Amino acid sequence: MIELLLFIAIGVVLLLLLLIVLRRPPAPAEGGAVALVAARHSLKVLRLELLPAELIDRIFGRDDLEYVETMGSPEIRELFTAERKMLALAWVRQLRGQILSLKEFHTRRSRMYASMNRQTELTVALDFADLQFRCRVLQLVLQWRGPYAAPRLVRRTAEAAAGLCGVLDNSLAYLTPAISGPLGTDSGRDSTPV
Amino acid sequence: MEGRPKHVDVIAATEDLRRRTLPHAPRALDRLIYLASMRDYNTGLYHHEGLAARFSPEVACEALADCHREAFRELLLEPLKDLVEQLETYMISTRTEPLDFISTWKDLAPYRIAIPVGTDSLAVELLFSNLKIALAILERQQTQPRVRTPVA
Repeated sequence: MIELLLFIAIGVVLLLLLLIVLRRPPAPAEGGAVALVAARHSLKVLRLELLPAELIDRIFGRDDLEYVETMGSPEIRELFTAERKMLALAWVRQLRGQILSLKEFHTRRSRMYASMNRQTELTVALDFADLQFRCRVLQLVLQWRGPYAAPRLVRRTAEAAAGLCGVLDNSLAYLTPAISGPLGTDSGRDSTPV
Repeated sequence: MEGRPKHVDVIAATEDLRRRTLPHAPRALDRLIYLASMRDYNTGLYHHEGLAARFSPEVACEALADCHREAFRELLLEPLKDLVEQLETYMISTRTEPLDFISTWKDLAPYRIAIPVGTDSLAVELLFSNLKIALAILERQQTQPRVRTPVA
């Protein structure tokens, strides 16, 4: 009787495991189009939205702070620094997010393309690690000391991210088939339904 | 709307818009608000009778969308000092009582609906943050003289 119950219990457990496995969403194909599109999107976000020098200057530059200080109002200064701190942290968070997304793509891709240059792969892997470390340090410094605490670290992090974008752009071009013309990117840019 | 407007037509319409209409809104903030007002809230499509008659509704829509994005980008990168000046000029042009204007803008934040569709979140956050600070500065400029006025 005990043996029968044991066999039934094992059967139920196996059935449950089978159901769990069946309910799992299928893993995306490594190196597939979705991953490639996501990587391209990350590069675009970095290049056009996070790394333009004029945007970084607006967030981290001291011009606006100097103007606010001429007001002679502690309340406005406090509001300004709080707002800039929030923006600075948002910038680092988004930068780190896109770097992580690219790293994930790169890790998968390097497993697939065994023929790729090992030295380049290692350099890129080290660049990823370096950038992630810089972003973490920046997050801590900005949180603790405010948006104007580490201007050189901000500049170097942005430069390192831009450099990595260049390397990855080349390797993505290697993976992307040549397309002769634009595929209707105009309305996609702002989703204007024309 | 069917079919995609030709790129050359959109460039021509954008130039036309810049030459004939936009000089009436010389500052980026004025242009942003004006161009946002040309957009249908329900469809997201831009309308301009004159431009649509000269080109086509589709081309006019693309040209207005391009100029809207351009005005947003320009305003985004303005130094805070210039943004305060632009906001003050705009406030004066509305002929509203300054403190009423500031209070309404702080409470309702009407600039939130003036953002081009698809703008990245950090850029939107930066502009909203700058406008919030600019409103605080304007409010102080409006109230400070009253505070300093000695009681007779």
